[in-house]
Amino acid sequence: MFVFIILEKKKCYGYELIQDIKIEFDIDVGEGTLYPLLVRLAKEGLLTHQWEEQPSGIPRKYYSISAEGKSALAAMKTFAGLILKKLND
Amino acid sequence: MKAISFDTRSAQRVYNDYIQRCRKATSILSEKDKEDVLLEINSHIYEFLSANGTKDQLETLLNVLDRLGPPEETLKEIVASKKIGQATHTFNPKHLAQALALNLTNGVIYIILFVLFLFEIAFPILIILKLIYPDQVGLFINNNGAFQYGYVSEAGSGGISVGFHSHAKVTELLGSWFIPVSLLIAVLIYLGIIFLLKIIKKIKSK
Repeated sequence: MFVFIILEKKKCYGYELIQDIKIEFDIDVGEGTLYPLLVRLAKEGLLTHQWEEQPSGIPRKYYSISAEGKSALAAMKTFAGLILKKLND
Repeated sequence: MKAISFDTRSAQRVYNDYIQRCRKATSILSEKDKEDVLLEINSHIYEFLSANGTKDQLETLLNVLDRLGPPEETLKEIVASKKIGQATHTFNPKHLAQALALNLTNGVIYIILFVLFLFEIAFPILIILKLIYPDQVGLFINNNGAFQYGYVSEAGSGGISVGFHSHAKVTELLGSWFIPVSLLIAVLIYLGIIFLLKIIKKIKSK
């Protein structure tokens, strides 16, 4: 869900995503957790990715949220809202 | 892939060794998938060094490699996942066997599919045996109605059998049709495994 929230705002490459999750949610996601997750989400069509050349000659792989990913995020937000409501009742 | 250059020989050696281990861990993948994984690992190391590289370069490199973890562990899931994609796209038995073996620990369904794959291999073996021992390989039925699909000899038998005892009088039913029938069964099981893998992929994406 954290990945989707960040990618809903902007496209990110792996290292940037780890940093943004840390800043936004104060969670240190390990590379060994994030990269397999990104591969899985991309395979499931929830994320898209594209390589972008850099002046350094070392390209970045940018991930974006797909339309399917946005629907999944909306469903997750509704579900999270329901849980919070139940907890507050 | 453009390699990253380091100021010190020790940092360069550590980096080269890590990339080499990544190459080895992804050697089972297609060239395209392998390149994709290596480029991303390389990009991550480069971005980490760019953001944190003001201090000792070797120390920073060791930090990022420590975060990435051993390639054999970190890339295990990525390789297994990409291998399934390769197997279902190419229909290549070698990729299918590797994909199933790599995913054995990812659920009971993969164990079942792997056993099914091993079972499927038996049919081409039976076809070869039929050519060598035409009278002892086939679909046999005895006078009790029990049957066996496979190899039968006086010493013992091998194959799929239901209540079969080779000592009783047996009749072979398929004759030379045994080869096309076995081939058809093998193809159907193979397509069934591919179909199930695609279904699993679809279910997991929901």
